[in-house]
Amino acid sequence: MTFFFQNVVNALQWGSFYALIALGYSMVYGVLLLFNFAHGDIFMVGAYIGFFVVSGLLAVASMSSLLLPNWLLLVLGIIFAMFLTSFVGMLVERVGYRPLRAAPRASAAITGLMIGIILETGNLALLGARRVSFPSLIATTTYNIGGVSITNKKITIVLVSLLLMLVLHQFVQRTKWGMAMRATAFDFSVVPLMGVSINTIAALTFGLGSALAAAAGILFSVAYPVLDPYMGITIGWKAFVAAILGGRGSILGAALAGFLMGFIEIFVVVIPNPFPTMFPFSLFPAPYLFPSTLRDLVAFSIILLILTFKPHGLFGEAHTARLRL
Amino acid sequence: MSLLRVENVTHYFGGLRAVHNYNLRVEPGQIRGLIGPNGAGKTTIFNLITGIYTPTEGEIWLEDSSIVGLRPYEIASSGLGRTFQNLRLWRHMTVLEHVKMAHYSKISYGLIGAFFGTPKRHREEAEIEEKANSLLELVEVRPLADQIVTNLPYGALRRVEMARALATEPKVLFLDEPTAGMNPEELTRMMDIIRRVHGELGLAIFLIEHRMKVVMDLCNTIQTLVFGEVIAEGTPEETQNNPRVIEAYLGEEVVT
Amino acid sequence: MGVRTGVRSGELSTGRNRLGQLLNRIWAPFSQVPLLGWLLGALIAVALEQLLGTYLARILGMIKIPALFGFAIVLKDLALIPSAILYVLLIYVLPVAVIARLSASLANRLAAKLLSFPMWVSVIVHLGLLYAVLGLWAGVSDYRTLVARLTLIGIMLTLSLNVVNGYMGEFSCSHPGFMALGAYGASVFTMVAFVDDRAFGPPLLPPALGPFMFPTALIVGGATAALGATLVAIPSFRTRGDYLAIISLAFTFIVKSFIENLEVVGGPRGLGSQPDWANLPTVFVWTVLCLWIINNFVRSTLGKALNAVRDEEMAANAMTVNTRRTKMIAFLFAAFWAGVAGGLFAHVLRYINPGTFGLQKLAEVLAMVYFGGLNSVAGPIVGAVSFNLLGEALRPLEVYKWIIIPLLLIVVMIFRPTGLIAFREFDVKNLLEPKQKPEEEVEHVAAAR
Repeated sequence: MTFFFQNVVNALQWGSFYALIALGYSMVYGVLLLFNFAHGDIFMVGAYIGFFVVSGLLAVASMSSLLLPNWLLLVLGIIFAMFLTSFVGMLVERVGYRPLRAAPRASAAITGLMIGIILETGNLALLGARRVSFPSLIATTTYNIGGVSITNKKITIVLVSLLLMLVLHQFVQRTKWGMAMRATAFDFSVVPLMGVSINTIAALTFGLGSALAAAAGILFSVAYPVLDPYMGITIGWKAFVAAILGGRGSILGAALAGFLMGFIEIFVVVIPNPFPTMFPFSLFPAPYLFPSTLRDLVAFSIILLILTFKPHGLFGEAHTARLRL
Repeated sequence: MSLLRVENVTHYFGGLRAVHNYNLRVEPGQIRGLIGPNGAGKTTIFNLITGIYTPTEGEIWLEDSSIVGLRPYEIASSGLGRTFQNLRLWRHMTVLEHVKMAHYSKISYGLIGAFFGTPKRHREEAEIEEKANSLLELVEVRPLADQIVTNLPYGALRRVEMARALATEPKVLFLDEPTAGMNPEELTRMMDIIRRVHGELGLAIFLIEHRMKVVMDLCNTIQTLVFGEVIAEGTPEETQNNPRVIEAYLGEEVVT
Repeated sequence: MGVRTGVRSGELSTGRNRLGQLLNRIWAPFSQVPLLGWLLGALIAVALEQLLGTYLARILGMIKIPALFGFAIVLKDLALIPSAILYVLLIYVLPVAVIARLSASLANRLAAKLLSFPMWVSVIVHLGLLYAVLGLWAGVSDYRTLVARLTLIGIMLTLSLNVVNGYMGEFSCSHPGFMALGAYGASVFTMVAFVDDRAFGPPLLPPALGPFMFPTALIVGGATAALGATLVAIPSFRTRGDYLAIISLAFTFIVKSFIENLEVVGGPRGLGSQPDWANLPTVFVWTVLCLWIINNFVRSTLGKALNAVRDEEMAANAMTVNTRRTKMIAFLFAAFWAGVAGGLFAHVLRYINPGTFGLQKLAEVLAMVYFGGLNSVAGPIVGAVSFNLLGEALRPLEVYKWIIIPLLLIVVMIFRPTGLIAFREFDVKNLLEPKQKPEEEVEHVAAAR
């Protein structure tokens, strides 16, 4: 049982990353009916911006011999990085998506993919191939609760993520801008009637989504401090799959499916082997049914099955959208 | 033996009853009309018979065989052609390609022919093209054969759709509001074409209409549908003078 | 604001007109050159390069013949720009232009003569010439041969992906998966049957038979891919658009992960030492076959059913088109050719690993299709050739290459969202026809006098 809860904690941590990124995909889809395929790389950009902000803050703090507590540095880092990354998101929208708003959606998808490649390569060109290490702001403390060991990092990650999701929810439900976003998602044509231009809404949505991705980027770096230009690819695609799984444009769905994705990934490889002395799926007799190398295979097979039988995602409504040519 | 028999068809969308206990018999050579206010379920009835929806209850027979549960293309190839209320044309295809495409079920050259361009394929494609051209002639769009449909005027599009439906070689032709959105000139032309198609090809026709004039001029018998139920059935004169029909239509649309 | 943009676009358009006029004037003397004439010109040019290329390159200060029209050399050493330009002018542009122009009337007569036989005669002659040009060009160095083979494979991949993404309008991301299945399927076949290696033991059949059985191996690869494609085709009956895109993406991940876990074929370490049977003529023949069959298919009414399903599925159904069969055919057909391309790819590189068939490959094939043009056969050829050559030519720029290529693609997407050559039929007869009829030619000559 402790083993189970141990994995729940891990799943929650990974689920937080997926959920925060998936929200960006889903919001953009809700408003513009397209997926921002550069979003995974915006996560990466966010992590790097976070790295520079935090390093800068550390340097300033040591020079001016200001004694800022580390948690404050982290909070400041997250806020600054979210703010700066949101501009990157808006820039991506302005350059890559706005000129293509009337074009077929597949073309916009290609543009997104290409912007993603540019962000990766641009990073490589600017910073070189060496990997950078995120400063360790929080010393790891491990709490033992009933045999389940939980680090303070994991708690921070999950709590900050939940907090951000709550803030997003309040923003979307309560503020004028959030209402305009929801209205756009409901019907494209009402937006000008509300006295808001679609360009503003699009920029806002990209900015918000990118800010969340940046937060995910920093939180990810807290847990796994080595950064590299390609860190956003796999996690981005998985979060994208989660966004689809949640139902296009559904914010709650994206968050839940993000966590579901985390749970599927973590738990797939800890399913006990009912025949521990035999080896149905691995080369050697093993305590677990699926060896960890089969993680992606099984996880994606489950998703393929879910989508085959629930073609509109878990929380999406049934209408067939398709690519216009 | 009726050509098409629909018996006690009822259909629910979720908990909502869209069609209740609908019956229809179409005899060879007849033109039958179905009228009713917006949202009465006319198009739903079309979709039920042509297989886009499967009726919750009821039976549908085309000649001797039941067609309930068949996929739409199977129903279409067994002799039930249709047009759509909101023109469903293929936006990147030419007029001729539209009509050729509707011969799909009659193509016998198969994948081998398609992949390797066998003589059999060329022969069949030429035959289809000839048939398609004569249909285009019939509905007066032959000169537009090589145009992409997005370049054509609305009236011509309606006629292209008609030719396409005829290319499936239907025994019964379903027309969903064939004159919707037409100006008087186009309307007269369309009615002439419907008469000509009926006369030359000897089809049975079942049409949905909104304009009384069209139904009154064309149809042998007319059903009036309100809230998914047939409230009246009879000749044009009987329908026109039926108080329940007049009631259903009052305020709905000017009866012309 | 409105006025200002109006003026600016006006200036732009006159600028464009002037450029257009200039281009037209340059083009005018060549408008009557048939394809045959161009091929003759190109043949002479590459023959000239074989004979004189090395000398000329040395005279111009280059160590050897510039491999890709001088691009790569220029990017390494900017001082070589004039000599590279001179080389390209002297070896390619000048001979091609002169010979194409001078031989125009002869070539027109010849093309007309050829078309009086059954079509395939003319096709074979043209293809023979094309192969001669390609072979001579590639014969200069091993590097060129490799680039030529990979480009031809790129054409096959792009053509086949276009069947699903262009003609049927789905955004399928499963092509790397199909390619992987084909690559591994074909490799396992050739290696089990004909190669003595550690993984599969001694050959089952005499290796001398091998090259003759290579087509079988490719077909096995294609069939493996087609079999895998059913996994994507069946969900496509019920869902379209984004969800199908995800299903196809999941398929690519699954295939990659599956192979990584398959120790028999080397797992993540990959599979090497495939026999070297995918030489230039083999790849060329398969590419032509692929092009011919795909072009036949998309021009038949059965093939156009794909367009009908894309544009209005409900109407397709009501017009007797079996939409499920159509979708099944599209996916299996596309997967088959992707598999064949994968098999060739494996035997060109003679080493594959699951990582080869990941998201990078996906971005590459998607880029080639959408750059070249949807729903056309000429588009993918243009897309694959320009993408591959550009990729090789920009190689000296190292990382910056992957900034320039994406930027270029974004620009194309903004100005031509469906690609450079989209929605066009590929009419072979039109291509091979003489560009000037004999009577006209007589008149033309008379008028000139």
